[in-house]
Amino acid sequence: MSCDEELTVRVDNLSFSYGTKRNPCTKTLKGITINARKGQLIGIMGPNGCGKTTFMRCINKVLKPQEGAVYIDGKDVDRLKMMEVAKICANIPADVPDDFHLSVEEFVALGRYPFVTGIWWEGEKDERLVREAMDTYHVTHLKDRKLAELSSGEKARVLLAKGAVQQPKILLADEPSAHLDLKFKLQVMQALKDLSRQGVTVITASHDINLIAKYADLVIVISDGGILSYGPPSEVINEEVIRAVYDVEVTVIRDRGEIFVIPMKPVDPEKGDDEDTRPCEKGIVAD
Amino acid sequence: MEDSKVGRAKAKLALIMGLGSVSLVLLFILSISSGAMDIPFKDAMDAVWSIIVNGVNENDKFELAIYYLRIPRALGAIAVGIGLATAGAVMQALIRNPLVDPYITGVSSGAAVGATMATLAGITLFGDPIYSLPIMAFVGAIGAFFVTMLLAEAAGGRPIAYVLGGTIIGIALSSVTTLIMYNNSDKLHGVLFWLFGSFSSMSWTKCLIVLAVVITLALIMLLYAKELNVVLLGDEQARQLGMNVKRFKPIMFVLVAALASVSVAFTGVIGFVGLIVPHLARMMVGGDHRVLIPASIMVGANVLLLADIVCKTAAEPAELPVGAIIAVIGAPFFGYLMIKLGKEYVM
Repeated sequence: MSCDEELTVRVDNLSFSYGTKRNPCTKTLKGITINARKGQLIGIMGPNGCGKTTFMRCINKVLKPQEGAVYIDGKDVDRLKMMEVAKICANIPADVPDDFHLSVEEFVALGRYPFVTGIWWEGEKDERLVREAMDTYHVTHLKDRKLAELSSGEKARVLLAKGAVQQPKILLADEPSAHLDLKFKLQVMQALKDLSRQGVTVITASHDINLIAKYADLVIVISDGGILSYGPPSEVINEEVIRAVYDVEVTVIRDRGEIFVIPMKPVDPEKGDDEDTRPCEKGIVAD
Repeated sequence: MEDSKVGRAKAKLALIMGLGSVSLVLLFILSISSGAMDIPFKDAMDAVWSIIVNGVNENDKFELAIYYLRIPRALGAIAVGIGLATAGAVMQALIRNPLVDPYITGVSSGAAVGATMATLAGITLFGDPIYSLPIMAFVGAIGAFFVTMLLAEAAGGRPIAYVLGGTIIGIALSSVTTLIMYNNSDKLHGVLFWLFGSFSSMSWTKCLIVLAVVITLALIMLLYAKELNVVLLGDEQARQLGMNVKRFKPIMFVLVAALASVSVAFTGVIGFVGLIVPHLARMMVGGDHRVLIPASIMVGANVLLLADIVCKTAAEPAELPVGAIIAVIGAPFFGYLMIKLGKEYVM
């Protein structure tokens, strides 16, 4: 445990259920334990409804787990105020409502909300960080445009800028590249990678196995609410795991350290493919 | 000096407040020099000066008309304009729907039920009988607003649910108003004035009540302009930025309900102001509430004062009901806005 001080996110035996006693098994997380270190990019994989988003919501206190705890920088998130969490933990949503008249610059500046000390206006430092973030993500030329007028790729960069302007230690990105074409997918993932190299712990959920394989330092595979597999992409991403998680036959090609996943066909449904009726598996503890 | 967003916002704010104040002063002068009694402009100004310097001379009929009728009436129009516009802007942010305003969320129809009950059915709560109408209107307005909110929340709380809920409550309450009127058709005149919306019954006491409440509530809302920006992102995103949405929104809803209700209680149903003014303000200064709310205040005050001048002068010596005038001009204007802004306002 030599690098304990480097641990930024520790999730300890976390269990969460939206359900009631009558309907306890839908969308449930059970016994999840992970350790994320400073500067790691962690990719979360798993089928629709497996609990990826729920898991990320538990990390920044949007949801309160029934069992277990989340520690950020050694502090129990449950004991932190939402404002304190917001100062260390930013999130990039897959989409935001854009039916209001905020300009790109005003929108990015909202990321400074937890830090603004005055009643009304952002300070000098906030303004400087907003300018820098807009430069970094190449949206300065869009600063006076309305969010609704942007293309998906532009909007993704604006969302990244808003996340970065919070100067977080932890960045949660839920399917940040979902609606983007190939170029923007790569741009967004590279931006997340750059942030992680600057010391931010990035946790991102994605359905794109190839992107996870290419960019993630660690992969968490969630299936039926538990961790099915956990480790570096080279260990985790293989035919068996993907077959078990997605019910899909794939071919995995390894070439000079890179991993390429080629989907072949769905697994025959004879063993039953209705995920909601499958019993909850006991979560696997991973480090 | 680097390009500063805050600097530009402050400049916009100064410009809109400056222009708005100048135009408001001019309209105010125009308002107190126009009306049913024919007072030449110069005499009106002399009378105002004399009132300021010597107090009101009870023997001068010009001074009496200006002091007891025209000034409270103009101040009342300004107060109601500020109240409805601010309430509209804040409701649109809280509900995240650019289509809501005090009219659509049931406030006006609730107030109408209260007003007809007070004047026609003689149902009053407490206090001086002169105030039974505004008090009942206020109670009806607040009640209808909260029923609309509860209905919308129970239906999932999506932005469209508030419009649907408000429409349903509005139709139901309008029928109640109709039924009360139907059963009291001999006494209709007393409430019709109110239902059409008018500033003609403004007194100093009434206008000071509205002004005091409206200015206090609008100032409180201005203090939270930054938070209203964050709320635009939706509840979950606002929470992730550290905002206590669960506490903020109910408190704001209570304040905005009081603001809208007191705005319609004395003067009657004036639709569209709460809807259109924030949109006009947004077109001028953008969506940042730190500039948008002051701009809405300025535009709202100017628009209603101007509308009241039109009502006083367009059909002299008869007076037109301000609610109807605003709706006649407002409805096509809103149609135009919808078409023009349809792309940006994804509903």
